[in-house]
Amino acid sequence: TSVQTRGCLLKEVHLNVTDLGLGYRTKEELIFRYCSGPCVEAETNYDKILNNLTHNKKLDKDTPSRTCCRPIAFDDDLSFLDDNVVYHTLKKHSARKCGCV
Amino acid sequence: LLGSTGLYFPQNEYTETVYVGQPAGTPILQVHAMLDSESERPHFYLCWPIRIPSYSQWFQMDINTGILSLNKSLEESDFALLPQSSRRKSWPVKKLILSAMVLPKPTRKLQCIGKNSPRLTLYFVNATVPQCAQTDMEELCFPHRDTSNPHIMENRFPGALRQLRRLTRLGICPNYTISYNTPAPFAVNENTTELVVTAPLDREESEIYRLLLVCTVLTEKIETKLRTSLDVFVNDEDDNAPYLNGTDTVEVVISFNRSQDASFATLSVYDRDLTAIYPKDQIHNKYVGTMLNTDPWIKDTFDIKGTFREKKAASGSIRETVHDYQLVLKRNLYVMENRTLQLDYLVNDTTYPGLEGTVLLHYNITVLPVPIRFTNITYLFTLTRRASVYAQVGRICVENCLKFDGFGVTYRLEVADKNVSAELQSCYAAISITQSPTDMWGLLYVNDTEALRRPQCQDLQYVVIAQEEHKQLQASTQILIVLDGEADKASQENQHFLSCAESRQRGDCEAVQGLGATTGRCQWRQGTEKGISENYSTCSPDLRTCPDGFCDAVESKDMLICPQDCTTENVIGGHEKGLMFGIKAGYGTCYCYSEKCFCEKDNVEDAICDDMCKTIIATAL
Repeated sequence: TSVQTRGCLLKEVHLNVTDLGLGYRTKEELIFRYCSGPCVEAETNYDKILNNLTHNKKLDKDTPSRTCCRPIAFDDDLSFLDDNVVYHTLKKHSARKCGCV
Repeated sequence: LLGSTGLYFPQNEYTETVYVGQPAGTPILQVHAMLDSESERPHFYLCWPIRIPSYSQWFQMDINTGILSLNKSLEESDFALLPQSSRRKSWPVKKLILSAMVLPKPTRKLQCIGKNSPRLTLYFVNATVPQCAQTDMEELCFPHRDTSNPHIMENRFPGALRQLRRLTRLGICPNYTISYNTPAPFAVNENTTELVVTAPLDREESEIYRLLLVCTVLTEKIETKLRTSLDVFVNDEDDNAPYLNGTDTVEVVISFNRSQDASFATLSVYDRDLTAIYPKDQIHNKYVGTMLNTDPWIKDTFDIKGTFREKKAASGSIRETVHDYQLVLKRNLYVMENRTLQLDYLVNDTTYPGLEGTVLLHYNITVLPVPIRFTNITYLFTLTRRASVYAQVGRICVENCLKFDGFGVTYRLEVADKNVSAELQSCYAAISITQSPTDMWGLLYVNDTEALRRPQCQDLQYVVIAQEEHKQLQASTQILIVLDGEADKASQENQHFLSCAESRQRGDCEAVQGLGATTGRCQWRQGTEKGISENYSTCSPDLRTCPDGFCDAVESKDMLICPQDCTTENVIGGHEKGLMFGIKAGYGTCYCYSEKCFCEKDNVEDAICDDMCKTIIATAL
């Protein structure tokens, strides 16, 4: 279950594949899309209660996860050749759609 | 004279340009047919497909000379009459397609017959013929954008093959004298300006003649020479018998590789003629091979696989055919089969018209039986009592087992001394043997850790029996497994083993009692290379077997033993996939939860030397 909100948006940045930090050696580039923004609007009573309990230190050391802005669908696979002419395919590497989940 | 096939056109394509205002009777181009004998007379016709085009009546062909000429004066209205080419609306050129045929006798049919009907492409220009002043000499001498090359059959009657003059431009410059010249074995008939081949050609001598045509234009004042090249190809026919380049006999010994489709020695038969691969139904230079042996055992067991390839003879640049005949097994041979025989194979060049179109090949075959035996009299392995379940103890293999193909050997363990007490009998459950279906190795591994740790269980002595799959042969040898370390009474309850591959750091890794760990603890491999490497950092039960890029029979028993070699799922992070399973190379550290593996550079590694540390090093230096 996810809710599309104004705050949580799909953004994009133009990168070299080497910028991804996955260890591939190549001159190929890509458009990387990611999800970013606040998810306040998607919060429910559950989130409010958790917020209050954490604030009042009723949950000891436990800090449960709050609603956050994450991909709910991914871009198509990305294939590229590395410097040794070996093909690689990246799957689920870039967001297509975002949501507060 | 070999294999006469009758009249043929030496060219598949003719092109010329026609203009508005050219009168009836203007010659356009001339087609030629090559003859088989001097007495033969060609009869040329224009021919048509089933749908005869509207312009068919504008042209006529001289039955004797093959000269195509205009039947009527071409008008601008004729140009307008032709269908527009849809893509180029106002294009001033339209393309007319005609076809010609040649027959040894007169005919009244006007449908194209046979494959040898050259296409005559005429470009009809919506303008009048350029006058002498507007025509350069190149235009007068050589056909414009004609790229077709003549093909002449070898061993045929010589004769004219191409008209060199541009017939449409004959009257344009009446004061010019144009003549042509070319080297032997070609010549130019001065009266008709036809290119003539003066003698029968032999493809095995020269496949191509790169002619330099010289056109001499003589005006009142000057003589100009223009040159162009023309390639004349010589077509092949089967006029050479097969021959051997050396031996007709080969010795073949069949022993360890006894699998169906296994291939052995090859004998080659040479033929100076070419073998076309297209069209597929061609029968030129067709070879048929026959096995002469009638023994049903030989016929069921062996086959000769014939293939052919094209080769340029070392001496020159003439192509020839090499037919390779390779001995192949039609079935798996049993290990006990033992025989010596000579297989005779007759190769026949069926299209060679002369005698001696055959070659006989001999394969002297020796099939040796394969002995199944162990080289080691006793295998000795040591094993720590701390070893985890699925820890590999050792591997065994009968003599030459890695060369075996076409038959399998399976291994089983038996207790050496069958008279021991039931309590000691249960100790032998500690070890099992396994084998992957494609592998000849038998792998010994820990099956029951409780038995391993029990103080009553001392050194274990087994007999391993190797059995050939058809149960024709078997061999056995002793295995002694020396148990090392303290027997442990306390840990007799069922132990829980974790997967080594989950650990991401050396410290965690070496503390884990991992599944398959030979020493009882997991082992850490520290990768040193930057980038994606086969030597990535990882935690393994035994670095000799995992990760080695191969998912062996023990590892495949449980995915938690060595997912680095055995995972079939997509790996997350920078990596290269293994051929079938596992990770071939990874970036940084590769770790796996169950079957799902991740490879990533651990940022902690870089942060080990922080700013403080760098300062200390810098000061020390």
